[in-house]
Amino acid sequence: MNTSLTRTLGRNPWLFSLLLLVVMIVLNRALQDNLFEIGPLNGNLRVFMPAILLAVGQTFVIIAGGVDLSVGAIVSMTSAILATQIPQDASADIVMRALLLAFGAGALAGMLNAFGVTVLRLQPIVTTYATSFIFSGIALQILPEPGGRLPRDLTSFWRNPLEVTPEFVIPMALIVITLLVLFWVLVSNTRYKQFLFATGGKPDAAYATGVRVNRVKFTTYLFSALFATLAGLALTLGTGTGNPRAGDMMTLPSVVAVVLGGTRLSGGQGNVVGSIIGAIILGLIGNIISFADLDSWLRPLVDALIIIVALAIPGIVSLIRRLLQ
Amino acid sequence: MKRIELIIEHAVKTYGGVRALTDGNLSVRAGEVTALLGANGSGKSTLSKIITGLVTPNGGTLTLDGQQVIMRSPSEARRQGISAVYQELSLIPDLTVAENIWLGHEPLRAGFVNRGEMRRKTQALLDLFAGLYQPNLTPDALISTLTPDERQIVEILKALSFQPRLLILDEATASLDSQQVNRLFELVARWKADGMAIVFVSHRMEEIFRIADRASVLRNGRTVGERRIAETTGRELVSLMIEGATALDRDRAALVSPDQPVRLQVEALSTSVLHGISLELRDGELLGLGGLQGQGQADLLMAIFGAIRSTGQILISGESAHFRHPNDAMKRGVALVPGDRGTEGLLLIRSIAENLLLPSWSEYGTPVRVARSRADGARIAEEMRIVMASLDAPVSSLSGGNAQKVVIGKWLLRSPKLLLLNDPTKGIDVGAKAEFYVLLDQLRQAGTAILFYSSDDDELLGLCNRVLVLHDGRIASALSGEQLTRENLVGASMGAAH
Repeated sequence: MNTSLTRTLGRNPWLFSLLLLVVMIVLNRALQDNLFEIGPLNGNLRVFMPAILLAVGQTFVIIAGGVDLSVGAIVSMTSAILATQIPQDASADIVMRALLLAFGAGALAGMLNAFGVTVLRLQPIVTTYATSFIFSGIALQILPEPGGRLPRDLTSFWRNPLEVTPEFVIPMALIVITLLVLFWVLVSNTRYKQFLFATGGKPDAAYATGVRVNRVKFTTYLFSALFATLAGLALTLGTGTGNPRAGDMMTLPSVVAVVLGGTRLSGGQGNVVGSIIGAIILGLIGNIISFADLDSWLRPLVDALIIIVALAIPGIVSLIRRLLQ
Repeated sequence: MKRIELIIEHAVKTYGGVRALTDGNLSVRAGEVTALLGANGSGKSTLSKIITGLVTPNGGTLTLDGQQVIMRSPSEARRQGISAVYQELSLIPDLTVAENIWLGHEPLRAGFVNRGEMRRKTQALLDLFAGLYQPNLTPDALISTLTPDERQIVEILKALSFQPRLLILDEATASLDSQQVNRLFELVARWKADGMAIVFVSHRMEEIFRIADRASVLRNGRTVGERRIAETTGRELVSLMIEGATALDRDRAALVSPDQPVRLQVEALSTSVLHGISLELRDGELLGLGGLQGQGQADLLMAIFGAIRSTGQILISGESAHFRHPNDAMKRGVALVPGDRGTEGLLLIRSIAENLLLPSWSEYGTPVRVARSRADGARIAEEMRIVMASLDAPVSSLSGGNAQKVVIGKWLLRSPKLLLLNDPTKGIDVGAKAEFYVLLDQLRQAGTAILFYSSDDDELLGLCNRVLVLHDGRIASALSGEQLTRENLVGASMGAAH
């Protein structure tokens, strides 16, 4: 019984994240009575959305054995582009053009990262940390100060829950989350998913089997950047204005969310659903910290602690095993 | 299935400055088992990797079905119907058996992986080895939970799943038990009858005679002969694998007198790889460890050094010395020179002085007596004749041979009583090797007991008076005096009795 439970947890680490999620919801509910009412629910999920999208993209990179430290900077860049390209009285055409521009820039950013890692064969950490300064620089060049105001129609479309009937409304973010889960279910059943896991698990073996390892890695950085652009869009729609430093503090949490979701930092194992849960957990921790009137610097502290614990777990486990022997 | 015809002529492959293959030739025909033989480093793995596209040759031609081709990648070779069972397994530990076998050619339904079908086809493949594996080997089992022989079976089935025209079995029987080997050979006979071509790379002579039709022999990167198995003998093949007559400049006078004290005594030492190793090493003796690579030689050295766990008894100068950590071994005068200089033995970007002094800092007190430490470093560098710009130049600026001297030099500062050498001359040039041999001899004459593993048979023959040949984690043969000949050494490596 005990061993089968540990085995189930071992194979599905996201079950543990689910447990943590329940704990956080209970804690949060204790501090905030109306947590489950549509207003706060809609608001919370909308605020968590950028982090969720970043975590989803980051998952692909980490499973394939890399890491993308430029996602926060891409959010900033997207925010700057959208805020400057969409004036308050923008027509649908202009909005479309701005979106194309933002996603084009995001795709280029992803390709630059992928180029550094797969063609120049630089360390993923070094490559993406370096490029993050390029993207931050571009953001500040386009929009030196926070500003801009997006059309109200556009922002309210994202901010207000979808009205199915006047009594039954669904938060937009919940629809996006459902789509993300569906997306992962589809991806899980493709060859691409097998290549992804093989590439992260043992690149030499994957290559010897005929997997185009570099091509797989390339796609993960592209995905990650495109999801970061989506995150930038969600953030800008949520606040209604642009901020060239919007993503400054978002990179580390994206990695932490992936780890909380049971994806192994060294690659080869993981899943997107867990990362979504991980991002929500982090959001709830943030809520708890602010509701409990704790200092806001606790948030990065919690992020850092989670990373350290996650990195230490394999070492601790093998240490315990050795001591028991 | 189109019958394959593959001819490789004059294949050349160099890694950096080292020639792995000088003139590799091989012809493979459908419905035939071709054995590829050669001693350590003869280039047989390189040659088979050229066929599978894992290695791109620097020269030579590859003719497939009458057309000259170049295999740029494993996927290209696979499209041509060539697949291989590699010596280093190509399985992904965190994927299941089914996922590994079908990686890259998963059965699809409407663009999505058809898991039911994949499982069924995997089970059908597993049934080929029915009754010869544990019940936990199912299509859904993770590779990381399997035993080495089960992994090997999965690896074989994976290569087979591509329905190849040419199947390369590179030491595929190494981790199988005899029943599993029998089943594999039955299958090979069946595939052969179906028109598949098979290249069988093995170091087990007995197996070659059981299933091969032809044998192609490599020596020092050259194909030196091809024989029909029905018309040859094991003795003839072994003599092809080694060079006919080489004059050995072994100094037979340097025999160890039996009144030298026993420095190292090992009784029934076992690890996951080793099975009951016993040996005795006297002061001033240079004892060789031979055999094919990966037969447990490195494990034996690491176990004595306390770097891996072992059972059994280890005595140094008659006292128990079952070290739990290399640090304990160092304190008792044991030093290990690792095989891979770059990753285990040296801090490449740090200076020569720092590297030399690394194991000895504790001797120089706190704060460190810098002047004395530098003087000692300079003395060793001088004694070892390390060719360098200065003591402060980074080790990465040295040639392979000089870098190897630094690895040894850093232990000489501690004047070890027992020196463990793990293939120390791998990848260094001839001149540096010669100087290294002189150094070894000096150490030996000064009374150091040396346990010396080398993958180079010439070294063992030239330097040692006694060589223990390891095979599958056991001492297959102890050769000394008149028995220490190339024939016996190679023969014992292949598991043959001499």
